[in-house]
Amino acid sequence: MSRSLGGPSAKRKRPETDAPRLVDAELAILNSIKSKKDSGIWIRDIKLDTKLTDHVVNKSLKSLIAKKLVKEVVNIQYKGKKHYMAVEFEPSKEITGGEWYTNGNLDKELINALQRLCLKYMMAQRVATLQGVQNELKRSGVVNFEVSAQQVSEILNSMVLDDQIIEVKSTGLGDYHSIPIGTICYRTASVAGIAKGAKVGAFASTPCGACPRISLCTSEGLITPSSCVYYSKWLDIDF
Amino acid sequence: MVSPHGILLATHIISSSYGEQCSKVCDCLLRHGILSLAQIIRFTELTKESVVNCLRVLFNQNCVQPFSSQREGGFGEAPRIVTQYIVLFDNIIHKLRAPKFMQIVSEELGSDCLNIFHGLIQHGRLSLNRIIERNEQTTGKTDVQVLKESFNRLLNFRFIERCPSPEPFLAPQDNEEPPVKKRGARRGETQEVLTVEQRVLEAATPMESLRFLVDVDFASEEKVEETHAKVTLGKKRKSEAMVPDEDVMGAGEKKEVLWRVNYEEFVRRLRDKACISYVKTRLNDEASIVLSAILELSKNSTVRHKVVESAYLSINAIYDEVIKKDGGIGMDFDHIRASLAQLGCTCSSADGEAYSIDLKGITDKAQSEEVESVVLKRYGREAYRIFRLLSKAGRFLETDKISDDTFVEKKDTLKILYKLWKDDLLDMEKIMLNGGKQVAFLLWRVNKGPLFEKFRDEMYHAALNLRLRIIHEQEQAKEVRL
Repeated sequence: MSRSLGGPSAKRKRPETDAPRLVDAELAILNSIKSKKDSGIWIRDIKLDTKLTDHVVNKSLKSLIAKKLVKEVVNIQYKGKKHYMAVEFEPSKEITGGEWYTNGNLDKELINALQRLCLKYMMAQRVATLQGVQNELKRSGVVNFEVSAQQVSEILNSMVLDDQIIEVKSTGLGDYHSIPIGTICYRTASVAGIAKGAKVGAFASTPCGACPRISLCTSEGLITPSSCVYYSKWLDIDF
Repeated sequence: MVSPHGILLATHIISSSYGEQCSKVCDCLLRHGILSLAQIIRFTELTKESVVNCLRVLFNQNCVQPFSSQREGGFGEAPRIVTQYIVLFDNIIHKLRAPKFMQIVSEELGSDCLNIFHGLIQHGRLSLNRIIERNEQTTGKTDVQVLKESFNRLLNFRFIERCPSPEPFLAPQDNEEPPVKKRGARRGETQEVLTVEQRVLEAATPMESLRFLVDVDFASEEKVEETHAKVTLGKKRKSEAMVPDEDVMGAGEKKEVLWRVNYEEFVRRLRDKACISYVKTRLNDEASIVLSAILELSKNSTVRHKVVESAYLSINAIYDEVIKKDGGIGMDFDHIRASLAQLGCTCSSADGEAYSIDLKGITDKAQSEEVESVVLKRYGREAYRIFRLLSKAGRFLETDKISDDTFVEKKDTLKILYKLWKDDLLDMEKIMLNGGKQVAFLLWRVNKGPLFEKFRDEMYHAALNLRLRIIHEQEQAKEVRL
């Protein structure tokens, strides 16, 4: 009925009446996104916030991205969920995962490269301070960005956890003569340690020590020491 | 209380050496704690004679320690003295280590000493006369002087000691709780039993001056009647009411000094060796030399292997000992002080400059590394890194913090943490925060106490598995031969 009432003029007017509505929707969505600042917002939360239909939200978001007012960001916590952020914000650490993440993925190549460099330097120096390692990374020029002391510290701590290097305090003697007493420094775990990684413990070198099923192993049953193939290999009695 | 696989291993050792009945008595004592003869008979459902015989064997092998204590009488009755039995789990497990102990004696003191030592390993406790007799039978050597020298050397090295009192009296304590609690407070029960065990052992152990003292004059020693526990059974009771279970250990017979292996000394030596080796790897040679000197100086005061820290030693005494060591001659006071600082020694200036070493700290670190190594083997490198982070932190950490510090992908971190938690390696706590909307945080921690207990139990399990596998292989070999 309305069509017949409106006639051709109504048809012409429709885009004019729709256009401001769409702009309103875009504005509402943009405000909703901006309110989250550098945390970003999930598309579903935008819908809840603005109470707009899926179709309008999707269309508005496309338009906002085209106008370069909004960008899509990867949230490290929910990689499958689309998150949006206003262009003037940079994603927070919680969203990106931190400096070591690129496009939502941990940059293992970069981390490994830095670890290798640190280890090489420490093997040459025997003992090194955090500052010394940072200077070396700067000097080598292998990375095209400024490595902060915090980043070097994170790299060194991860190497300590991997048992590649040890954190020690300088005694001011021997290898430590150039480092003030009490300064925290790092040295390689041992020559053997570097070659093999972490030292294998006595218990871990036995079949039961390495067995994740030991809790299910009994003298009778499906898993028993009598029929254990790992024992056969270990005792070298596999015919 | 001994862990489940500890009990299985101990009973297996006893069963394979001394038979099923002894194993049953041992199992009963391990599960129930301190028991009287009547209780053991009731629990094992064996005859009194069998139980008495089993207790004699176990006592003779230093696996059971009887003690007497005062028990409140019933209504209108006077308190009475009762004999109870406590099983010495560590001594049972030491039987597995006997070849290692014999190797140490052989390397340090030679074959003559080893022969005496072997006799004591085999028989549990022997008098000097029995040692002489056995030596004549096994080696054909009749020179008592040579044997005496070997015996003295074993004593000087503290490889053997006088046997403890066969039945010490345990004085009642103020506010003493019953030694065996009823089911319920498990942790409390463990502490209670251990405390009683320690008190019994303390009461039974001879004075330090007597423990390693030998009656030197072999020639004049009387050829007294055999008295060790293997002697004929069934001697007439004197007064059962006054001295209960007297005939179980032959306490009423004429006394002769009995000797046995001093396991504590071997454990101390092996512990010290492990600590020195650990420090050498983790710190440097100089620190290991200083540690070796400290342990040498305090060896008699740290015999009990659960000692937490050494006594305070003066810097001069440490220096004198350090320069005796290989590689220690070039070390001066500054080097020693630097090494002491690296070792985390506490300094006291009350009696000049003196230092004490935190032995527990070193053994804890070494034990942690053993556990970490198992985590690496079973769960992989990323789990190893996560576990080490939590182990070092010693407190709850949040999932994201763990992920950031270990360079493990956030989604993988949660999977690994969950797996470790499921296998009882970690504690987990969930925290709900109610802000605009509810947010859950997962916190994780390595709780070393229960974790070390779990791994100790797994090690007993592994030792038992190895024994079972060896038996299986031997049976297979027999079948092949047939």
